[in-house]
Amino acid sequence: MDPALEVSHLRKIYRGGTVAVDDLSLDIAPGDFFGFLGPNGAGKSTTIHCICGIATPSSGTIKIFGVDAVKDYRAARRLVGLSPQEFNVDEFATVSQILDFVGGYFGLNAHQRKVRAELLIEKFDLSQHAKKRFRQLSGGLKRRAVLARALMHDPKLLILDEPTAGVDVELRLDLWRYLQELNAEGKTIVLTSHYLEEIERLCRTIAIVNHGRIVRNAPKRDFIGEAGGVEEAYLKATGAKPDHLAAAAGA
Amino acid sequence: MEAVKPESMPPFNGVNWIGLFTIIRREAKRLMRVPIQAFVAPWISALLFIFIFGYVVGSRIALIAGHRYIEFVLPGIVMLNVVNASFLQSSSQVYFARFMRYVEETLVAPLTYAEMIAGVIAVVIARALITAVGILLFALIFGATRISDFGAFVFWIIMVSIVFGLAGQIVGLWAENFEQLTILNIFFITPLSFIGGVFNTVSMLPPWLRWMAWANPFFYFINGLRQSMIGFTEAPSGLGALVTIVLAAVLFFTVWRLYARGYGLRE
Repeated sequence: MDPALEVSHLRKIYRGGTVAVDDLSLDIAPGDFFGFLGPNGAGKSTTIHCICGIATPSSGTIKIFGVDAVKDYRAARRLVGLSPQEFNVDEFATVSQILDFVGGYFGLNAHQRKVRAELLIEKFDLSQHAKKRFRQLSGGLKRRAVLARALMHDPKLLILDEPTAGVDVELRLDLWRYLQELNAEGKTIVLTSHYLEEIERLCRTIAIVNHGRIVRNAPKRDFIGEAGGVEEAYLKATGAKPDHLAAAAGA
Repeated sequence: MEAVKPESMPPFNGVNWIGLFTIIRREAKRLMRVPIQAFVAPWISALLFIFIFGYVVGSRIALIAGHRYIEFVLPGIVMLNVVNASFLQSSSQVYFARFMRYVEETLVAPLTYAEMIAGVIAVVIARALITAVGILLFALIFGATRISDFGAFVFWIIMVSIVFGLAGQIVGLWAENFEQLTILNIFFITPLSFIGGVFNTVSMLPPWLRWMAWANPFFYFINGLRQSMIGFTEAPSGLGALVTIVLAAVLFFTVWRLYARGYGLRE
């Protein structure tokens, strides 16, 4: 069976020469809940953007369920849904319109769009807000709307770039529960987050990226089995200085 | 949850028609949020041009090749507004999608570059046609509306809107702020259209300035529309259409290359 996501020797160099992703390779098995950890600027979002088509890879290959994301991008994009870190939404459109338009881009007919949008609006408790413009929503509601948008075409691979950043505890728990449901239904999920407990709670496989490279990629149980768990492994893998942190904690 | 599996979606068979119509539908909805800016403003502006230049001033000007001045000037006024509507539509559509980043919704979707470009152009043509028809209806009040060759009239409105719809996309991809969005309009489109024969024939220009009309593509656009409306032309038959078709082809190839490179769109 093809991996859900197969990234080989991916490099992304921005104009000006900044190397954001440097020879990054990883395989994600179908049905996995994959955590992608790394400090700010490590290359997580750039990697995600290359996978989804928002950034153009400088070199390397990306395959989604065996489909080349560059050469056969139309087939590949039907398989992926993205909930980005920053809101990339027409703020003047309503939630219903946003879902309807995105469903249309993915080739869903009017009936499919209506059924799918109604289900997602109900699922994400957006019924009271479906006719509101995106800009009128609170931060948490915006997050839910963007997640619903990522699911409009029912992708097999769902990529979530810091989906719980800035949301309250109650919503975070709701989202966790929902993501676990989706994963149990067979959806492959890639999650980036700065909340280590989120990654630890949800993911089965964890990769740590630093300076555009994967520095550790292992099942969660391997991290848990080590002294200090995911946090210690993360600090070690990213080269953070534990003595500095200890001094800061003491102060 | 009822699944709408990708496997159950119909194959595109070459064109993602639903995706293409969604681009058009979405932009039409956006346009209807600003109907005064999109349609009423150019109609009022055209009405004033028709009244002042065509009716008030024109009534004191002698016939031009057997036509009243208001009839002579009307095609130029229509063309000025078609050019402006087309350019503003496409440049703002592309720029705002980039500025608010919702262009990423199309970048992550199974849409080809040709579909994205065609979606923009379809709305441009619709806006240009509505603008032109509105102006002609106002001109009816002054008895100035005449169309001697309907096919040629439609050809010129559509071809010119395609040219400026494509030029607007280039500017929309390039612009990094609102001021840059207006540069082409201020320094090229408005001056070239005014000296392209909106208010005068080439023979009215001083001889040393006439070359400027022949080298100005706006002259061919205005002349072509004028010929389709009142039958008056100053250019060899077919030359204007050829210039316009070649220009549209070159611009389409340029825009397609920019999309393919991800210029202004992709990181």
